[in-house]
Amino acid sequence: MTPDLKLEVTGQPREYRALKLALRVLLVSALMAITLAIIYWVLSQNYPFRWRPALQHLDAFNKGLVLTLQVSAVAMILGAALGLLVALARLSPLFFLRDMGTLYVHSLRNIPFLVFILFMYFGVAPAFQSGAAVDLFGWHIDGRLFWGILALSLFEASFISEIFRAGIQSIHPTQMEAARSLGMNYFRAMRYVVLPQAFRVVIPPLTGELIALVKESALLMVISLPELTLTARQQGSQLPFQFEFYTILAAYYLAITLPLAGLSYLLERKFKIGGREEVS
Amino acid sequence: MSQHNMIEVKDLHKWFARLHVLRGVSLSIQEGEVVVIAGASGSGKSTLLRCINGLEKIQSGQITVDNISIHASKTNLNKVRQRIGIVFQSYNLFPHMTVLRNITIGPMKVKGMMSTRANERAMNLLKRIGIAEKAQAYPDQLSGGQRQRVAILRALAMEPKVMLFDEPTSALDPEMISEVLDLMRELAKEKMTMIVVSHEMGFAREVADRIAFMADGQIVEIAPPQEFFSHPKDERTRSFIEKVLAV
Repeated sequence: MTPDLKLEVTGQPREYRALKLALRVLLVSALMAITLAIIYWVLSQNYPFRWRPALQHLDAFNKGLVLTLQVSAVAMILGAALGLLVALARLSPLFFLRDMGTLYVHSLRNIPFLVFILFMYFGVAPAFQSGAAVDLFGWHIDGRLFWGILALSLFEASFISEIFRAGIQSIHPTQMEAARSLGMNYFRAMRYVVLPQAFRVVIPPLTGELIALVKESALLMVISLPELTLTARQQGSQLPFQFEFYTILAAYYLAITLPLAGLSYLLERKFKIGGREEVS
Repeated sequence: MSQHNMIEVKDLHKWFARLHVLRGVSLSIQEGEVVVIAGASGSGKSTLLRCINGLEKIQSGQITVDNISIHASKTNLNKVRQRIGIVFQSYNLFPHMTVLRNITIGPMKVKGMMSTRANERAMNLLKRIGIAEKAQAYPDQLSGGQRQRVAILRALAMEPKVMLFDEPTSALDPEMISEVLDLMRELAKEKMTMIVVSHEMGFAREVADRIAFMADGQIVEIAPPQEFFSHPKDERTRSFIEKVLAV
């Protein structure tokens, strides 16, 4: 029973290190603020900043934000679910499942997402004669939304599957053997023994990929899906404050992605309980 | 004759690629019998155990446990494995589950036992080895000896007819070995059919009904402890015993 015994690497007291960290954060922030202030001042010699009128347009940003959040959330769920299936296929004892998984991952991962969106929306969608609207089980969905989410999910699934595969492979095969020895079949052993341990391992890279997904959703503007980026661009193009608009746009994306990174940290700590058994 | 035998291995051959690890192993073990298998590393002891519960495929020969052919294609391995408990050298407990959950997961998810009943049975098992207070601890909070005993309980919770032990004390500090051997001794007294791969010759002499010595993928000698130690027939057994007794 030694869970409370933590070795201090530096040998310095906790309070001292906290103080040092606070000072460091303060110093870096101050340097950043000064640098930005100088840049801002230089720019303002040629460009008249108009933040007040620019901020009048936040309603439009908020509308775009809602769509970006919706698209990202659905694509995360679909992408993660498909990614897990592809990962399991790539680890399957059946060679054709393995090969199909490999083909999927390598074909999607190695083309630009922009090309894939164009291919899906202007290539595949017309072939299904479903550019404007899609009927999904009697559910009427905007065609841009449907194909946009589909493209994003399929594309991200190829990256997410590699993360899951690495996570599953990092769990020692003896865990699978121990589970099978109790009489569990392959899927139960995966479900109760391997995947819960693998999940803990993949939290950081998985969150990184989900953040990438949110950022990639900006490219959906090319199929005129009015998400955050397209909204900002359309509004801004008629108005004389581009700098302000793109600054606000960047801030909106940070407002989505930074909490995601924080969530990763929290999840990682939450699932740390129990620790791991050393493998000899 | 064969219906009395709990475990029957007939002319078993096993290759790892071109490496011929088991070269015609035959072994019959009766219900309630305890057989200790000794032998140098690489002699095929562990592989034999892993073949018996179907963790390894075999290339020729036959293995039956409780009259079920393990490697027949129609055999449902998941069902047979419920009757065969196995304990590994490195415990292989599930690190993300509490001790209690480690013991109940098999009965609950494989046999469909209700959690209240599974928990009650697991607590009784833990009380038996005197670590009921560790039920909510995680494996990495236990000592090696406690971990291995929990691993034994995890296998016992499935109510197996046969227990296989693959060097259960080899990863343990010396002072922890006896607590694991004590539990195994109790199981032997309760007439559990056991195969124990081990170098613990004191334990073998006291508990085993027969001791087998393996070398080069074969069982070169199998005899009751008295005879095994006093009148070894094979030269390799003799030199093994000399080395062991010299310690």
